[in-house]
Amino acid sequence: MEASVSAAVNVSMLAMSVIFTVLIILIFTIKALVKLIPYEAPPAPPARKVSASSPPEQDDQVAAITASLAAHIGKRPDEFRIVNIQSR
Amino acid sequence: MEFSFSSSTQKIVNSTAFTTLESGDALMIGIACLLVYLAIWKKFEPLLLLPMGFGCLLANVPMSMMASTDTGGLLNFFYQGIKHEVLPPIIFMGVGALTDFGPLLANPTVLLLGAAAQIGVYMTLIGAVFLGFNMQEASAIGIIGGADGPTSIFLASKLAPHLLAPIAVAAYSYMSLVPLIQPPIMRLLTTKEERKIKMEQLKPISQTVKIIFPVAVTIVCCLMLPGVTPLLGMFMLGNMFRESGVTARLHETAETHLINIVTIFLALAVGSSMTAESFLRLETLKIIALGLLAFAFATAGGVIFGRIMCKVSGGKVNPLIGSAGVSAVPMAARVSQKVGSEEDSSNFLLMHAMGPNVAGVIGSAVAAGVFLSLFGDVGSSIDTHAALAPVIGNPEAGIQALATVVEVIKQ
Repeated sequence: MEASVSAAVNVSMLAMSVIFTVLIILIFTIKALVKLIPYEAPPAPPARKVSASSPPEQDDQVAAITASLAAHIGKRPDEFRIVNIQSR
Repeated sequence: MEFSFSSSTQKIVNSTAFTTLESGDALMIGIACLLVYLAIWKKFEPLLLLPMGFGCLLANVPMSMMASTDTGGLLNFFYQGIKHEVLPPIIFMGVGALTDFGPLLANPTVLLLGAAAQIGVYMTLIGAVFLGFNMQEASAIGIIGGADGPTSIFLASKLAPHLLAPIAVAAYSYMSLVPLIQPPIMRLLTTKEERKIKMEQLKPISQTVKIIFPVAVTIVCCLMLPGVTPLLGMFMLGNMFRESGVTARLHETAETHLINIVTIFLALAVGSSMTAESFLRLETLKIIALGLLAFAFATAGGVIFGRIMCKVSGGKVNPLIGSAGVSAVPMAARVSQKVGSEEDSSNFLLMHAMGPNVAGVIGSAVAAGVFLSLFGDVGSSIDTHAALAPVIGNPEAGIQALATVVEVIKQ
């Protein structure tokens, strides 16, 4: 197939339009689902004791655990701080 | 049979691969060793580049019958998994089993970042056409910007199988270089204040929504772009295994053993396609250059759209999460977290960046679907089915084989 830059530009614009259209449909689908089926909080699990010193490297783990914990207890991530992660 | 020491020695010498080793083979063996070196010592996507490099090494040993084109050879058998679109969708199923759509469902507007980052695909498409590739080849090269290995392999095997090897190598190499490619672009396109923006806590999502979501995506996307069904459908099936809560064994298998096994087959098969004839060409250098362009534009597209969302939302969106829209899960999200935490160590962007990151996977699959709709023969799999029909439709052969196995076990 012969290809020209102008044809490629047209294809790109068309394809980007299709991608945005599909993903916008998905956004509305998700919003409808979330509205129709709201979240119900599960019973809180027993609290765990956390000890107090932390190695400096573990940024990703700290970020992931902080975000999950914040979602779980309903606080902002900067309202509390994880000081240590220990593997069992 | 007469035995002569000298003639036998001569025969053995003549049967060694050294006699047919050409400069191209030697160079490819060097490239194979380089890939293995990058995988082991530089940690460049080692799970892929190590078997890929070793597959390349095996394929370039003359007379070894290990190239993807050597009918009857071991790696030719694995290569059928790419040719018949089996392996990339199975990898996608494993990726689906590993993916948590929670951050995306909590903030669905970030899907737009996954769409915006696909600009890298189309800028590369235009660049590839400018460099003389035809539209199918340019599409297969452009999808490198989707930063999704299985999607790149899937599309290349459909639209430009002769470019599969350089496309796969470029895709996986640049994916491993995401932590080096993205941060300068992210810093260049954002202000210090924007990088410090703290985003609101994500809302929790009902488990029922998480279960319905894969079905909804499958229905919406696959009905609109049926060509992408093998990829997206398997991706969503893997996620159903994860979220349904009733298929723990399937979920565990898909996210661990199955994806690992198929990764070995896929990487070896791609490596086996890296022969001197297919790889040592000017096109390879062009594809390597275009791949870098693809990643750079994809990152820029995501970040610029992130800035737009930041303005529109009144400063509630940190533009750094836009770069995660390139896919490359989860490395791109980790880069967003890292660059954000450099400005403010108490800013945790990782979970916010996971939304556009998984949106990027869907976006790149949709981009592939668009290419297949435009340039692929969506119905071509019918030919594959026709070719397999005599085998599938002959139960007697299968029963005979089973009976043989039973006999062997009895003995």
